[in-house]
Amino acid sequence: MSGWEIEALESDLGGFRLGPVDLALAPGTAVAVLGRSGAGKTTFLRTLAGFLAADRGRILRDGTDVTEWLPERRCLGYVPQGLALFPHRTVERNVRYPLELRERPDAAGRTRELLERFSLSKLADRRPSQLSGGEAQRVALARTLAADPELILWDEPWQALDVEARYELGLVLHELRETDRVPVVVVTHDPGLAFSLADRFLLLQDGRVELASDATALLDAPPNAFAARFVGFENVFDRTRLERRGAGGLAAWLLERAGPEGVAFAAPGPSAEGVPWRWTGTVRSARPTPDGVVVEMLADGLPLVLRAPRSRTVPPPLVGARIGFDIDPSALCALGASRRSVPEGP
Amino acid sequence: MGGCAPHVTDGPPAPLRRRPPRLSLWTVLQGVLSASLLLLFLLPIYALFSEAPFPRVVAALQNPQVWASIWLTFYASGIALLAAAVFGIPLGYLLARRSFRGRAVVESLVALPVVVPHLLVGFGLFLLFVPGTPLHHVTVALGLPVYDTLLGVVLVLVFVSAPYTVLASDLSFRAVDGRMIEAARSLGAGGPDAFVTVTLPIALRGIVAGLLLSWARAVSEIGGLLILAWVVYPSGLYSGPVSTTISVYIYNLVQLGDLQDAAAVSSIFLLIAFGLFLAVRLGERYGRLPWGRGELLP
Repeated sequence: MSGWEIEALESDLGGFRLGPVDLALAPGTAVAVLGRSGAGKTTFLRTLAGFLAADRGRILRDGTDVTEWLPERRCLGYVPQGLALFPHRTVERNVRYPLELRERPDAAGRTRELLERFSLSKLADRRPSQLSGGEAQRVALARTLAADPELILWDEPWQALDVEARYELGLVLHELRETDRVPVVVVTHDPGLAFSLADRFLLLQDGRVELASDATALLDAPPNAFAARFVGFENVFDRTRLERRGAGGLAAWLLERAGPEGVAFAAPGPSAEGVPWRWTGTVRSARPTPDGVVVEMLADGLPLVLRAPRSRTVPPPLVGARIGFDIDPSALCALGASRRSVPEGP
Repeated sequence: MGGCAPHVTDGPPAPLRRRPPRLSLWTVLQGVLSASLLLLFLLPIYALFSEAPFPRVVAALQNPQVWASIWLTFYASGIALLAAAVFGIPLGYLLARRSFRGRAVVESLVALPVVVPHLLVGFGLFLLFVPGTPLHHVTVALGLPVYDTLLGVVLVLVFVSAPYTVLASDLSFRAVDGRMIEAARSLGAGGPDAFVTVTLPIALRGIVAGLLLSWARAVSEIGGLLILAWVVYPSGLYSGPVSTTISVYIYNLVQLGDLQDAAAVSSIFLLIAFGLFLAVRLGERYGRLPWGRGELLP
């Protein structure tokens, strides 16, 4: 038996209830914990780390029940939001901290090794306040690894990082998984990080597990509007709001195709040659991307995002222009239902 | 013309240029107000120095009684400082980190010594330890009499000065981000380890500020001492001559009408105190003190 198992973990926190959560973490796996603010993501990490008591369920490390263990005995590296680098210690002494606690004779050598691995050698004498966001992340990671953790819990690793630093940290996290084989649980609001790093997703809502699956299941049937937007659906509608708009035009068409709970749909596209556009809308903004242009528009009072492929001949639409579009019925899906279960278009 | 700028007049905009530094009413007001207060600090000091003829200052400097008194003042306030640290910092931690019944009462109790006239403090302790009371017998039997001894001085000083350490520690411990402590714990630090290696160092700056305030308050105490320990006889930790703290010493001279000697001793003590505070300030400025740069002094 190797790795971590979380069995029906529950905790009651006066008015908020987390779980039950079931999760298995084999070496080298990464789990992304998703959910809106207040969904219980940080609570889940802090319960795993031992700062909040679990009221029911078990946490097993290599088959040993560690549910009641003190945080310092659990062998897991918890990186809280904001990283919590010690402001009174230099970079070098931050990284050395876990080794000092263990009175390791090789502390100096191991620290040097870690500083080198994360390209921090030149910053060894700096204070955390003198670091950029990306550097601080690397220090936090080096310090966590110095404790030889058997599980890393990271609350929002990409918070407040510029795109370049995100990219670099992404590489480091991948290496961590591949080389050190340490399982990682990250709380993230970033789909890019989640999909590139995680092989499993835990979607929380009001403390409950809304979905625990791999990427395919999440992409295929996002269970709620948050998940739908997270995986990249840009046009997500609440069924009740559609109904309030009455049966006219686009809203009625969407309702007709929607499942019982609500709808998500993707890929409004250009019409086939010669066929008149089914809908029209007013352009609110047009933003170029490497692949084409992203158009935000208002059609029948509904805000829509449309992606048009890059074209050398057709200029991007102007703000305020009225443009026509169609919706690919097969790209339409009801929340919580598999996309494939949605009936074909007219 | 509209926009966000009021009083826009028509016509071409004035060319942009750097505004020359000028004395605005605001700057003048700040200067006048600050200078008034500084003047209030300086004038009495000036009066003290001008009242002290140089030969009297020299005489005071050569007077062993003056030095005994200064030594006693620093000795007693040093012990009080130590006590404030040993007992005050844990109480501050307790108030910052634990919730318990009667918390509001404890908090008010801590603030009380700051508010009450210090004569009351001395009077209260006097009633407890005056010869004839049970506590007097106990303390004398233990070889630790309180009335008119160093211990009495220290008790008064701790009473009036420790609250500053408690309050500053409370605030400083509160300001330590709980996530720092959690990070330390998950890196392998037990509770006491995390306190010593993370909580305390981060809170230290504020705690030291409180300690300095406490010490300053102890050095300047007189009210409580006038009742409980006007004179200090040798006993226990104090084997020096019969003496008084410097504040009482100067008070006695003033009472006797010896104003020039009082002014001379005051001047000497002022210079020593000013020199000490200046040294701490400069130490901070140049980072020689462990808590680094910071706004520590009152």
